[in-house]
Amino acid sequence: MAETYENADEIVAARRAYNETLAQAHDKRRVFWFPLTVVLLLLALPALQLVGNYNYLIHIVLYTLCYVTMASGWNIIGGFTGYISLGHNVFFAVGGYFAGMILARYGISTIVMAPIAGLVCAALGYLIGLITLRVRGPSFIISSLALVMIFRIFFENWHFVGGAAGVSLPTNDLSVETAKFPYYYAFLAMAVFAVWASYKIKHSKFGLGLRAISKDEIKAESAGIDTRLYKVLAFAISAFFVGMAGAVWGEYLTYIRPNIFLVILISVNMVLMCIIGGKGTIAGPVIGAVLIVAFNEFFVATLGASAINILATGMIMALTLMFFPLGLVGTLAKHRKLPRILNWD
Amino acid sequence: MADMLQILILGIALGGVYALMGAGLSLVFGVMRIVNLAHPSLIMMGAYVAYWAFKLYGIDPLVILPVAMIILAVTGVLLYKLVFEREAKSATYSEMTVLLTFALAMIFEGGLATAFTNTQRVTSPEYATDAIFLGDIFIPLGQLYAGIVSLILIGGLALFLKYSRFGYAIRATTQNREAAQLLGVNVNLVGLVSFAIGLALAGAAGSLVSFVFSFFPSKHWEWIAVLMSLVVLGGMGSILGTVVAAYLLSIVAAFVGFFFGATWSTLTFFLALFVVLLVRPQGLFGEKPELA
Repeated sequence: MAETYENADEIVAARRAYNETLAQAHDKRRVFWFPLTVVLLLLALPALQLVGNYNYLIHIVLYTLCYVTMASGWNIIGGFTGYISLGHNVFFAVGGYFAGMILARYGISTIVMAPIAGLVCAALGYLIGLITLRVRGPSFIISSLALVMIFRIFFENWHFVGGAAGVSLPTNDLSVETAKFPYYYAFLAMAVFAVWASYKIKHSKFGLGLRAISKDEIKAESAGIDTRLYKVLAFAISAFFVGMAGAVWGEYLTYIRPNIFLVILISVNMVLMCIIGGKGTIAGPVIGAVLIVAFNEFFVATLGASAINILATGMIMALTLMFFPLGLVGTLAKHRKLPRILNWD
Repeated sequence: MADMLQILILGIALGGVYALMGAGLSLVFGVMRIVNLAHPSLIMMGAYVAYWAFKLYGIDPLVILPVAMIILAVTGVLLYKLVFEREAKSATYSEMTVLLTFALAMIFEGGLATAFTNTQRVTSPEYATDAIFLGDIFIPLGQLYAGIVSLILIGGLALFLKYSRFGYAIRATTQNREAAQLLGVNVNLVGLVSFAIGLALAGAAGSLVSFVFSFFPSKHWEWIAVLMSLVVLGGMGSILGTVVAAYLLSIVAAFVGFFFGATWSTLTFFLALFVVLLVRPQGLFGEKPELA
């Protein structure tokens, strides 16, 4: 039964209300208690240090949380909007260098500086996006790769930030048992924020626009979406999260150096986590991060060499792309077999 | 003035090698719409073929070149059959294949690094370090030979595309895949053969590169951006464009290297890539703005 409207304003209002329902249409079957439980467990995890030495476990969880932040950030441009960037470690590096240099010069903790480092990266991402997002598909992927090369050359030859040797950062003066705690909680907070933000974005009008762009950019444009602004903003937001993670990561490692930030494996990991978990889903990057980190640790522990790690990562990526292009969450959801606890949309 | 001429000659000498490195990439993109990010890692494979032939048996890289071409062409056929044929129906074909070739690049890099470590290698036939002197100016012999061989191979490819019946089919498929198929061209076979030719050129480029540059498995990332800048500047899929872009950028890079230092000469390629994407995404000779 179609309703009738008296004047144009009512039509516009009705259309707007309808758009709102579209944007916020989340899955009724999703469960909230599961991610909440996970977060509570992670909050309590460092208590293990009271009963023994679990520094390795804390390191692994911290490392995973770092990647959850980055992969969720990447998902905003790569998953929602469909622009696959292989150069997001540029923002990882810029965030790390920005906060790291402030720590080295003025002694301000990177955890405090992380949001500002994120904003710096977002601004940089906005500028880069204005240039690179003019092209799409393969050309965009290529330009993102070139970006990494450009930044690597700049950082390796910029004497102020120590060139290729990088800069050593001061360590904190906590005891061995508690030294990782600040970074652990910082990464936990960032990961939760990133996942929450990507949920909010996905279920907003903005997110709806992004998904429209990923389906068909020309139709999205003709439907009245300012596609250029939308995708540049999405790029900037995703740069924000990656930059924040980079800021704290530098202090955690106690040094910043081009060859820890600007290696291709880091951006590949972000992409691979999203693909293996399920691009464009909320839970996908989280599950992907857990899987890939576990897998990497297994390989490094059993085989050691980083060359084999690259080989194996490439293998997993190729096999996933060929046989499960929708990723774990996407494939399960397509066959209506997604367990409710993994349905975070 | 002699300095300037010298730099020009060094730029031209490298241009031929870059052109050959990019030509295979361009051909594959033109026919199959695959941006083969694994191309540089396959060039690396060709370089290792030449390296081990030289190191173990003392065979000149120029002699082993046809063998490297055959090995890489066979690799190409296998890759096409195993990977790309099944992707042809994918809806997000072009993005999917970029990511797939990226994964393949990692596999080849990891494989080469596992087998041969990341040590810097170079083959050193006598001519590699020799030069012809013309007054104040010298022409490095290795680069001269590599440039000549490159031009011969690219010229051969151009003749094949222009005058053979199969080359005709390849060009038709490049221009319009569906129309070519309607007119009875076996586009799948065309894809297979051009993929094999593209990789054969990578093998040839590898043998030449082995005595022109030093190489190690993870160096292919640098080559990716360099080759992409050539292919994008030339217009994706245009082999003539790639060759022109290769000479152009190689000469510019030589001058940048002379004035600002060697570090910045590679930056020329990466910045050129950006400028082209910004100003003229379809490149110099490209006609396909929808892909740019």
